[in-house]
Amino acid sequence: MKLVMFDDFKPGVLNGNSVVDISEAVGGIAHLSPQELMSGIIAGFDSVRGDIEALVAASDGAPRDTVRFRPPLPKPTQIVAMAANYMESGAREAPALINAFLKSPNSIIGDGDTIVLPDAPAAIFHHEAELGLVIGREAANVDAANAYEHIFGYVNFIDGSARGLGNNSFFQGKSWDTFGPVGPCIVTADEIANPQDLRVRLWVNGRLRQDFSTADMAYDIPRCIEWASGITTLEPGDILATGTNHQGLGAMQDGDTIELHIDGLDKLTVSVRDDLKREWSREIDRATADRAAGRASAGGFGESPQS
Amino acid sequence: MKLAFFDDYRLGVVVDDRIVDVSAAVADIPHLGPHHLINGLIERFDEYRPALERAAASSDGLPLADVRLRPPTPKPGKLVCMAVNYMEDGTRDAPAPINAFLKSPKAVISDGDTVALSKEPAAIFEHEAELGMVIGRRASRVSAGDWEGYVFGYLNFIDVSSRGLGAPPMDSFFPTKSPHTSAPLGPFLVTADEVGDPQNLAVKLSVSGKLRQDFNTNDMAHKIPRVIEFASSITTLDPGDVVATGTNHRGLGPLHDGDTIEMEIEGLGALHLNVRDDLKREWPRETRLEREMREAAQ
Repeated sequence: MKLVMFDDFKPGVLNGNSVVDISEAVGGIAHLSPQELMSGIIAGFDSVRGDIEALVAASDGAPRDTVRFRPPLPKPTQIVAMAANYMESGAREAPALINAFLKSPNSIIGDGDTIVLPDAPAAIFHHEAELGLVIGREAANVDAANAYEHIFGYVNFIDGSARGLGNNSFFQGKSWDTFGPVGPCIVTADEIANPQDLRVRLWVNGRLRQDFSTADMAYDIPRCIEWASGITTLEPGDILATGTNHQGLGAMQDGDTIELHIDGLDKLTVSVRDDLKREWSREIDRATADRAAGRASAGGFGESPQS
Repeated sequence: MKLAFFDDYRLGVVVDDRIVDVSAAVADIPHLGPHHLINGLIERFDEYRPALERAAASSDGLPLADVRLRPPTPKPGKLVCMAVNYMEDGTRDAPAPINAFLKSPKAVISDGDTVALSKEPAAIFEHEAELGMVIGRRASRVSAGDWEGYVFGYLNFIDVSSRGLGAPPMDSFFPTKSPHTSAPLGPFLVTADEVGDPQNLAVKLSVSGKLRQDFNTNDMAHKIPRVIEFASSITTLDPGDVVATGTNHRGLGPLHDGDTIEMEIEGLGALHLNVRDDLKREWPRETRLEREMREAAQ
């Protein structure tokens, strides 16, 4: 099932090319915010799934191009994002040490929204295409062997990244308002046969930049859940972003259209605005790709090659 | 006004050494849990203040010693923590470049609770006493000069730190700062009007009865107005979010199994915690300053 939020944050199901309003089926879920509604649907899915399916079967819904998609997880309690978690198409000799950061829940935007580049003097702003895990059951100190029991579903996630600020502090790199595009839908885990074998593609203005498989992840999904839940308690509706392969990163700049498609997760489209109209190369950032892969020991990520 | 949650998250107003249950005065604030209640009250405080004052004056309440205090902000939308933000009693030549990190709101605990040290092989676990600011209204790209209108109140905050974990030199604040139980705060949320000058408050933290941290918020490197400006330039701050202003590191020292921690910032009440380490690890029981002086003397 593909869960969405649309228009004024109504809960819905994306069924083919139609969006069905499921408000009626989830009316019993107490909430004060759209995020709490979706978290409630996720936490209580077994008890509402039947009613949702009945509604979807009985309704034609609205054509998808007539609704405004909203982020399906508008403000998670936590966005835990893995750092340096790919083997860079097999180029790395060994995984980097496992690491992650928290991204501000206020960074979230949805399909059709706009990433607004801040006026901070970043060296470059990168898009990072990532598979997002949506937590379904509270997870604290979970063993890898049980990790999938805590995953409700999957989302397209872009980890917008400002490089070169604050000595590459993650807060100053990752937490900007609008730097967390997600959606358009949460796809339940039963629809994704093997999340560790999904093709991830990201285009900028129609040109393919990132194209990799989640098979290249350095720490696999169970290990990510095990490690993160050993630090903090993940709750239903939280996002764990699994990191990106840096081989196709490039600049985001004013007027860009970015599309992210992960197998089975539909397509997330966002725009970019930069009131300062800064310009960077429109090619793939080779210096960053080489550094991430271990082919260069310096440069990339907004550093000058000499530094 | 000193606000607190107690027992099963009753909302209380603290008057001297007593606490008055004022839950009835805020019952119509929409909430499903205590975090909604306090955030909703913060947003509507001007409207509710008279009713809270009447309720607080209408009853003797209970002795504070007889109640279980709870975190006054049980689940902030965000915990933004300043990094390296003190002049270290003037020993630094210049402020470090401004920086911060996010700490998980799931790590919040409060008075009487226990900091449980992670089993991960940290180099050391340290306490960082900090002045915490609680945001009063939505703050996005606030100018330093306007900071005051965005701060609702203050609380004691301890940024428990598990050193050396993660992937240094990469920013590893998540594994070092967000472990379970690493964010003790409270016990009171004290409204800004009671605090006077937040840039001139004595901060003290003792471990097992021995004073370790003893500094003043006037030693802060990037002052409160700049902190609000900086944090709100990156991420929108919401009512109830906590911005922790950093610590003076000279009095930091290790936490051990069986330790008790007491922290008190002038006017904000005392915060008491226990420490548990199932691995019973041992470190020299001295502060960074004591170690420095011992090594210099050798």
